[in-house]
Amino acid sequence: MPNESGSVYGLTILSPIIDDPHARISHDLQLRMHLGALPRGEDSPFAKVSSTHMARLTVMNDVVYVGMPACEEHLQSQYLVFESNFDGDLDTYLRRMATEIPDHVDSVWSHCIGYPGAGDVAAFESYMKKCQLTTTFYFADVNDKTVQQTLRALQTQAAVASFIERNQGKPAAELQNAFTKFLGKLRAAPDPRPGSGKDQSI
Amino acid sequence: MSKLNETDIQGFVLRGYNFPLARYMFLHLADDDRAGQFLDRLLPSITTGEHWDDGKPDSTVNIAFTHKGLRRLRLPAASLLSFPVEFLEGMQARSAVLGDTGRNAPERWESIWREERVNAWLGVNAMSEQALESCCADMLRIMEETGGASVVGWQDAAALKVDGQLTTKEHFGFTDGFGNPDYLGFERSTQPGQGKLMPDGSWAPLATGELLLGYADEGGELPVAPIPHLLANNGTFMVYRKLHQNVAAFRRYLEEKGRQYVGGKEKLAAKLVGRWRDGTPVELSPDSPDPAIVMDKKRNVNFTFGNDNAGTRCPIGAHVRRTNPRDAFGFEGRLTNRRRITRRGLPYGPYAPEGAEVRDDEERGVAFMVLNANLARQFEFVQQQWIEYGNDSHLGNEKDPLLGNRDEGGSFLIQGTEDPKNPPFLCGALPGFVELRGGDYFFIPGMTALKMMSTGTVDPR
Ligand code: HEM
Repeated sequence: MPNESGSVYGLTILSPIIDDPHARISHDLQLRMHLGALPRGEDSPFAKVSSTHMARLTVMNDVVYVGMPACEEHLQSQYLVFESNFDGDLDTYLRRMATEIPDHVDSVWSHCIGYPGAGDVAAFESYMKKCQLTTTFYFADVNDKTVQQTLRALQTQAAVASFIERNQGKPAAELQNAFTKFLGKLRAAPDPRPGSGKDQSI
Repeated sequence: MSKLNETDIQGFVLRGYNFPLARYMFLHLADDDRAGQFLDRLLPSITTGEHWDDGKPDSTVNIAFTHKGLRRLRLPAASLLSFPVEFLEGMQARSAVLGDTGRNAPERWESIWREERVNAWLGVNAMSEQALESCCADMLRIMEETGGASVVGWQDAAALKVDGQLTTKEHFGFTDGFGNPDYLGFERSTQPGQGKLMPDGSWAPLATGELLLGYADEGGELPVAPIPHLLANNGTFMVYRKLHQNVAAFRRYLEEKGRQYVGGKEKLAAKLVGRWRDGTPVELSPDSPDPAIVMDKKRNVNFTFGNDNAGTRCPIGAHVRRTNPRDAFGFEGRLTNRRRITRRGLPYGPYAPEGAEVRDDEERGVAFMVLNANLARQFEFVQQQWIEYGNDSHLGNEKDPLLGNRDEGGSFLIQGTEDPKNPPFLCGALPGFVELRGGDYFFIPGMTALKMMSTGTVDPR
């Protein structure tokens, strides 16, 4: 099914950027500067919308014809391209964007034509859906696991590796004892934070 | 394809000389016509791939240039700019791609490499001390008389003597020099396992263009090469890396972990590399070394990993499996065919016998060289993706156990089975066994190209 791969949703949005001849700095340039300064990792706005596997915001200037013979053609406008792979359905995700990071969303999309603002959640949802394209390719690393499951799995993998290193070769009873303790600790460990790259040791 | 013109190709490219001694001289070239005069005087001494009907010579001479060196030789700008960008930049500028950071960062390299003063590599291989010294003296005389080049540094290297016997061992104690590709058109007895794997399980030589410029490569294209064609033809690119070996750290690690690992120290060493110290491929003989396999040219490089996906014979992260995965990634090995490299070089520093006192700060390592047609696609890819990273083999960011650039400890998993004699084992707290001390990217021109360079007749139009 387009836009959905297992439990992961692939969202592609193209929003036309405002072309204002009177702007001191054109909107596409303002957007580029704003996007370039956005924090990444745990401080990324999309770490707060915690069902996000991967999100990407870019400015598309134009598409250049590279065939032969040369031919000049242009897009109708410049576009903000937003791609996201996330868990769950589209409505929930858009609502989370509008309610959990409204300031971030506004400061990006306010450069786009016809943007209603995140304050009116229903209008925001319908605007975004109007700008949606069908997605058939997904971020290669996304499988059918949720963000939380993935982060947990990485945490478990690192913890188990370090457990093995500390305990391999021990007599069975001692090993079992250590493993039971380890399991308890692992289960009680807090979920890794969205956007965190480094494994958090147990 | 037609037969190669071996007399137009530098001998070092066509064959590993298997001479016991080498001196790699690093030259700075004069910034005027004298550089070309030096090269012109040198030309008759250069060893080509010609047949040695009258027996082996007692020494050989070969030459290669950095991009800076080619500029000093006054190649036209149109030719200089037509070289691939990674060669143009040089190895230092590629440190982020190569993972040459931290303890391997250029700031820590020897000064001639850090300051990028090397314009040319002049490699002399010799049968004896006397032949080496006399050949090098001839070279120095040509440099002095023409004023076209001076030596800014050199690296002596030599086959290791173990118990008084010349060997092909490297300092960690492994027999080296088995795995190197065969190429189409090379007059060299091909060994099953050295070329590329065919769908029927047989082996065929790799396309010539994976090594030499001017010939079709595995993609059916001519390699990216400088203009004019004659400048590129029969040439190749060389990577030079001075790799220091922490022999004390390696031995200490084997001792310590070898006591915990059921297989013991020697099997542990074998699992790290994918060959036992005598050279037996672990894939063929996982439980013990087997001299009969080592001696047998039909078997000693003839193995695949396709039936060992779990790595319970040769671990998935072992050095030879990483650097030449053969069919490990499926598709009958075709994913590997564009990532093959030809290795050259010799160890430097005296061999420390097992049990002798040894320190990590003693000068000991490999003068390591790689030849390939495309630095980015071949050497750099192997170094970046397969040595310093593990994702292709589903090993996350685990690095090559032998070569990984690390100082805070990495890990290496020996996959195992339920057989109590072959249990899985996790090698943790891996120290950095190998450190980079410098090096650069070089172009090894063919003989026609050298002549054109020396006479200023390279014409890119
Ligand atoms: C101090 C550094 C190094 C040591 C001690 C070392 C050691 C070895 C040994 C013992 C072998 C097995 C013998 C053989 O198959 O010929 C081997 C094979 C090999 N190594 Fe290394 N190596 C080093 C650096 C490197 C580097 C930097 C690369 C690549 C960039 C590399 C690529 C290879 C390849 C391609 C093979 C042949 C694998 C095959 O075809 O089966 N090695 N090395």
